[in-house]
Order: sequence, then C-alpha cells, then structure tokens
Amino acid sequence: MSQTLPLRSAQKVSLTIITGFLGSGKTSLLNHLLTQSGGRKITALVNDFGALNIDSELIEAQHGNQVSLTNGCICCSIGDDLMRSLADIMRQDPLPDHLIIEASGVADPTRIAAYAAVDPQLRLDGIITLVDAAAHELHAQDPYLADNYHKQIEAGHMLLISKPDLVEASQVEHLEAKLRASHPNTPQARVRHGQLPIEVVLGLKAEREIKTTTPLAPHIEDHGLASWSAHLHGNLSREVLAEKITSLTPHVLRAKGVLRDEQGAYALHYAGGRIHFENLDVTPSGHFVLIGKPELPNAEALTNLFQPTGS
Amino acid sequence: MSTIYQAKSIRTMDPHQPHATHIAIKDRHILAVGTADDIADWQSAWGPLEVNTDFAERTLMPGFIEGHAHMMEGLLWDYHYVGYYDREGPDGTIWPGLKSIDDVVAHLKQIQDTRDDPSEPLIAWGFDPIYFQGRRMSAADLDLVSAECPVAVLHASLHILNANNFIMDAADVKNADNSEFIRRDDSGQPTGEFLGQLGMYMAMRTTNLDLLAAASSPKTLQTFSQVARQTGVTTCTDLANPVPEGAEVAMRETVEKDSFPMRLVVAFQGNSLPPEESVARMQALQDKQSDKLRFSLVKFVADGSIQGFSARLKWPHYYNGAPNGLWYIEPDRLREYLTAFTQAGFQCHVHTNGDECTEVTLDAIEDALRAHPWPDHRHTLQHCQMASRAHFKRMKTLGVGVNLFSNHLYYWGDEHRAITMGPERAGRLDDAGGCLEEGVPLAIHSDAPVTALAPLFTAWCAVNRLSSTGVALGGESEKISVEQALYAITMGAAYSLKMDTEIGSLEVGKRADITILADDPIVVGAMGLKDISVIGTMVDGNVHLNQGRDA
Ligand SMILES: [Zn+2]
Repeated sequence: MSQTLPLRSAQKVSLTIITGFLGSGKTSLLNHLLTQSGGRKITALVNDFGALNIDSELIEAQHGNQVSLTNGCICCSIGDDLMRSLADIMRQDPLPDHLIIEASGVADPTRIAAYAAVDPQLRLDGIITLVDAAAHELHAQDPYLADNYHKQIEAGHMLLISKPDLVEASQVEHLEAKLRASHPNTPQARVRHGQLPIEVVLGLKAEREIKTTTPLAPHIEDHGLASWSAHLHGNLSREVLAEKITSLTPHVLRAKGVLRDEQGAYALHYAGGRIHFENLDVTPSGHFVLIGKPELPNAEALTNLFQPTGS
Repeated sequence: MSTIYQAKSIRTMDPHQPHATHIAIKDRHILAVGTADDIADWQSAWGPLEVNTDFAERTLMPGFIEGHAHMMEGLLWDYHYVGYYDREGPDGTIWPGLKSIDDVVAHLKQIQDTRDDPSEPLIAWGFDPIYFQGRRMSAADLDLVSAECPVAVLHASLHILNANNFIMDAADVKNADNSEFIRRDDSGQPTGEFLGQLGMYMAMRTTNLDLLAAASSPKTLQTFSQVARQTGVTTCTDLANPVPEGAEVAMRETVEKDSFPMRLVVAFQGNSLPPEESVARMQALQDKQSDKLRFSLVKFVADGSIQGFSARLKWPHYYNGAPNGLWYIEPDRLREYLTAFTQAGFQCHVHTNGDECTEVTLDAIEDALRAHPWPDHRHTLQHCQMASRAHFKRMKTLGVGVNLFSNHLYYWGDEHRAITMGPERAGRLDDAGGCLEEGVPLAIHSDAPVTALAPLFTAWCAVNRLSSTGVALGGESEKISVEQALYAITMGAAYSLKMDTEIGSLEVGKRADITILADDPIVVGAMGLKDISVIGTMVDGNVHLNQGRDA
C-alpha cells in the first residue's frame, strides 16, 4: 500500500508568514532574513525569485523553481499553487528548520496559517504583517482592497512599519499610535530596507529555539530598534522576571534568557506579548537579551531593573 | 478518403445555409455542404466520393466546443464519483446520482469491500451536501466505509473535503489549532470537513498521494478526451495549465494521434510566473502548437466563487451578510499582467465571478488597451456571473467577449436565490439574454469537473434558466433561444478561442469536426435539449463512436 506518514512523531518545522501589500517590503525583508539565518536551515516560499535579488555569491545552485544558498537556506517559487509547493517542501528529507512563506499581496494569511493546523509537522510561529508607512492611507481607503488590508493587519502577530524614512516622522508616529490603539496587543517595529534582526521576526512562538540560536548581534542600527544584553547572576524567579519584562510594554518586543531560580535552570522566551518558560537541564549561562523600541529605558535603568545592586 | 455523409438533418450554424442533409469531407476538411440534389455536382467536380449512410437517421452539428473546462476532469475519473446527479463516465457508464449521505457511504463501502487492496487510500469526488437538508457528512460516516485506510471525499466545488478518522488521526487534527477552515461541531470537535484547500492538503500529506498530479499525463488526457467525446465535444479547453517545461511535448505526443478524439486548447496560467517571464514562456510555447494542440490563451483567476463566498461583489455584497470575497490576484498586478500580454499580442481569459471583480477587470483591460491598442484582442471574461447590463455595454465597447457559467443556474440556482445573491440578483445570474442583446460575443460553459461536461445540458440551462428544483431564475429577458444556445456552444465558443475561421460551423473549408446526435435539437426544442443522445463525433473527419450508444 502507499505509505501513510507518521506525521505526529516527526520533526517539526516552524512556519512564519510574511504578509503585506504589493510594494510593502516583503521581498527586502525576506532577502535580509535569508542572509542572516544564523545556522538555521530556512526554506522560503516566494512569489518571484527575480524580485528577491539574491547576492549571486550566496547562490550555490539553481534547479527549476528552487535556489539553494551557500548558507544552507533554500528559496522556492510558489508559482500559482501554494498548496502543492507546501506539500512538496514538507515531503523533503531532511526538513528545513524554518519555513517562511511570502504571501501574495492580497492573500488572507489566516488561510495559509490554517495549513499548520492540519499538519502536525508544521507549527505556526507567526504572521508578520508589513504596513507600508508611505501607502497606509491609500490602502486603508482603497475601494477594492481596504477589507483585505485590514484583515492582514488583524491577522498579524507582529506589525512591521516599513518605509518610515519616506514620510514625516510625525506621520509614522501617528500611524503607530493608530495601530497601537486598534491592536494594543500586537507588537510593532519599524523596518527600513528590510533590515531587522532575524530574532525579531522568527521565533515569535518558538519554545525550543532558544537553546540553539546564536547570540544576538550586539549592535543594531538603522532599523529603529534598541537591544540590551547582560549576564544576570544569581537566582531570578520566573514570576519576578515576567513582571519586570511586562513593565516595559509596549516598548519591549522580544526577550530571551537562560537563567535560574529556586526551581532550577530555565529558558525564558518573550515574544508577541507572551512569556514562555522552559525547564532546562543545563548550567545556565545567565545570558539575557532584550529587544525593543528606542523608547526602552537606557542601559543603566535596565541594569537597575533587572539586576539591582545587592541582589 | 473522401466521403459524403448523409444525415437526417444537418444544423450547420452557417447563416448562408443553416440546414442541410449531406456533407462531403476530404483531407480532414469540409469539402461541401448541401442536399441530395448536390451530390451529382460534387461527384463531377471532386469525385469519386463514397456516400456513407451510417448516420442517415442522425443529426449532424458542428463539433461542440467547451470553452471552459479543466483537464482535472480526466484525472478525477481515477477516483470514485459520488455526486447528487447522474454523471456519465469516460466509458459511457452512467454513475447514478447518490441522493443521501447514507447512499454515498453505502456506495463507497461496496467499493471498499470489493477492491483488490483495501488498505489503499479511497478517494471520492463530486459530493455536494447542499441537497441534503442541512445534514453534513462526518468523519464517523466515512469510518463506516473503513476506519483502517484513508477515506477522503472531495466536494463538487473542489474546495471542501471530508475525511475519515484515519486521516484525521494521522494529521492529529484533534489537537490542531482553531481554524475557521476546520469545521467543528457544537462541542468543538472537528467534524471531518475541511474548507479551502486544507482538506486536500491534509489528504495529500497523510496518504502521500499527489491527488492533483499528472494533470497532463497521457492517461488523464485520454480520459478527458473520452468524457468530451461522450458529450459531443470536439474541441475542449484546459483553463488553465502552468505548462511546466516539457509538458508541451508530452501533451502533443498524446493529442496528435488520430485516435485521440479531441482538439485541446490549453490556456497558459499567466500568473504562474512573473509578467516578463510569463510572456516569454508563452512566446516559447507558440511553435509547439499543432492543428490539434493550441497554446493560444493566457488565463488569470481574479477572484473566487460565489457559492464559496469568495467572489468579489459590489455592494450590498452577500445576501446572507457574509463578508466580501477574496482577490486571487491584486487588481494592480492583474493590470500589469494584462498590459504585458496585450502588448505581446496574446489573448487573455480572466475568471471573474463577482460584479466588483468584473468591473476591476474591465478597468484593467481598458488601461491595457489605452497603452497598447489592439482592435481584435478578444480578451474574454470567464464565468462573469453577476455582470450587469452596464458591464455588458462596456464589454461591447472594449471588444471583450464573455463565457458565462450557465450550469450554475441549475446546480446552485436555489442557493443563489436563498443565500448568496437573493432572488433579485439571482434573477440576472449568467444573463445570456442581456449579453446578446447588448451585442457581446457569448459562449457558455460547464467548468468541468466542477459541473458535468455536456454542452447540450449547458445550452438547456441558458435556454430554460431553471434550478434543480424547477425554480425559474429571472425572466424572458435573461433567456436565450435554442438557436442562440446552439450557436454559443459552437461558433460562440470558437470565436472566444479565435478559432472561428477553422471550426464552429459546418461550411466549406473548415475542419471536419462534427457532432453526431440521435435527434435534431431544433426539432426537440427547449426542454428536451439536455436529453438528446450523443452518438459520437468526428475530429478531422475521423469518426469516434461513443460507448454505450447504438450507432
Ligand atoms: Zn474554471
């Protein structure tokens, strides 16, 4: 008989969906993510290779609708059949660590996310919605597309404001405030030319990733984000830590750490407004990272918050 | 061989000579059309010609042309038909309609109990629960067929799938995230019904079968052509196909054979590649064509379906308050593609179901034509079910043709009245009468496998406008005459494919593509159209008799 897959027991692939209107910067973001995969094997399903404009030095091989990169990532074009492309990828051996789907400009991302619901090997990590700062008003009032546009924002687990440099600063702030008012629980960040640390975008819901990812780049520039990292010593209880992180909302976007408290070592993961703890069987490094908006308190204030002297 | 076929009646669709009794065929083409009185002249001019009386009691018509079908019709007959209506298979077997969920289950159970390897996946298609008074099929129903192998039932729309618990367990659906595309019962348990392409994906993942693959394999093509032959179709479209590199060669090998009873017009799926590459691929396909295989059209799907609530409608949108549908391609992107293909000189067929989508597509075509004027582009709107008179007027001005989905009136007419459109708008659904009155070239279609491929049935729908329960949709102004409907399934469709100089009517010089009918549709009249038996066809003068019929 034809083989029935033991889908449940096998390896899991994290799924990130990047959605946003034509020209909102999905391709630049994707391009940037692929070049800083940090050891993850990422497969990206895209609408148009050509638009992706991958650095030729990065390309290892190209076969039909598939490009392999030297860093182990793969890029496939969707053609007009996402279901088929997805099924093909999920049949590959070995499976990628992470799958990123570039949704078409008018796609309903929840429809794509639904595939993860019936594929136990596919785990939805998050829907990233790009909001074009320069075209927001146009899209929000488009007689044919406004409903689509709002649906995409609604579906986003994170909103990325793209092209903030193309409009007045006050206009960007106004847009951010508006989105924060309508979607208070959805984190936001600005993105220029697709440049954003991969950790901001991938791993929104990841539980295990924290053990394997490479440390964050220490300097983050030009994408309007701030980061702070530290080694936290001694016991830090999960409840207290959760409280401290929450006190930084809405300016904090991501946090991760490998720490310990009375119950033992744990990994902390904060993303998309949710905190997740996982028990660890290792000696914790005390490494702790925060990523947020420029409005985050300064390093001194953060040190004081997380590791007040004497504790 | 040069032959004169004698018939009881020949309906030529040629205004110069609408009716005849004899037709002479030479070198795959029509040599002459006339009556017994003309035979002597023909013999002296071109003789000797053999007179064939095999069809002396039959009616001949130009070979029917299906302007919107899908090759998947040929693929699905590998699986088991479980639709509500009788459907004729490629070998002439009539598969009786199954009138309840229990009937469907019993039918599949019988197949399960008698097949060679009961552990193989069991796949069925054509199911439509709208006729079952609200009862939906559940995983438990399908477990009665078997709980030991994957059982999946694909709905007629192709956009819903029911699975048994074997598949649901393999996919771990019980622990799945909530999704509006997984139907759940009142207690929150998944029922086994999956919306959109979700079910198809799950079935493919859990069975490792590629349910939609091999869409251009020789076997699929053969089955497709046999279904076409059974219903009198001599030229059929595949709307659309991404035509991956090499597929054109494989298709041609099969289609070229004289034993292959059909001309095939493949529409290239325009948005399977970015605009420039897409145009280049289309250009590359041009010299791969032949008399029987064409790559002459480009197809785009701009929105979804009305019954699936995914068509883009103008205000007041859906009658039941469902949110407006989906764009399958961005309006700006559509404009970009249409402009590129108009510039390159390729005819485009655009699927537009809702009236908002029709309007946006007309805007895009108008923009493309302003940029690259082209008097005889014949861009065509496919389905175009909710077009108003104003839209038809605009199509006329722009030189746009239409291919209406008339079968919808019968299959989903009641649903459109009660749920999707309401009685008033359902009355102008697929308004063939309005279309012709406004002077827009008309074809009508089945969208097989979505509904059964059968041009005479499609003609019946456009003429009578009755739903499956006998309710009339609209009035006289939306109906067309029997003659107009017969024209739509021959010359109308030929025009929409830019093949009207070659096929579509029986006149001197055209290809000898002929449909052989048991009775004369003009004599039978409006109500009997759908019941006329198709004896067979000729393609290029080669006779292909149907199975299950007396010649
Ligand atoms: Zn279709």
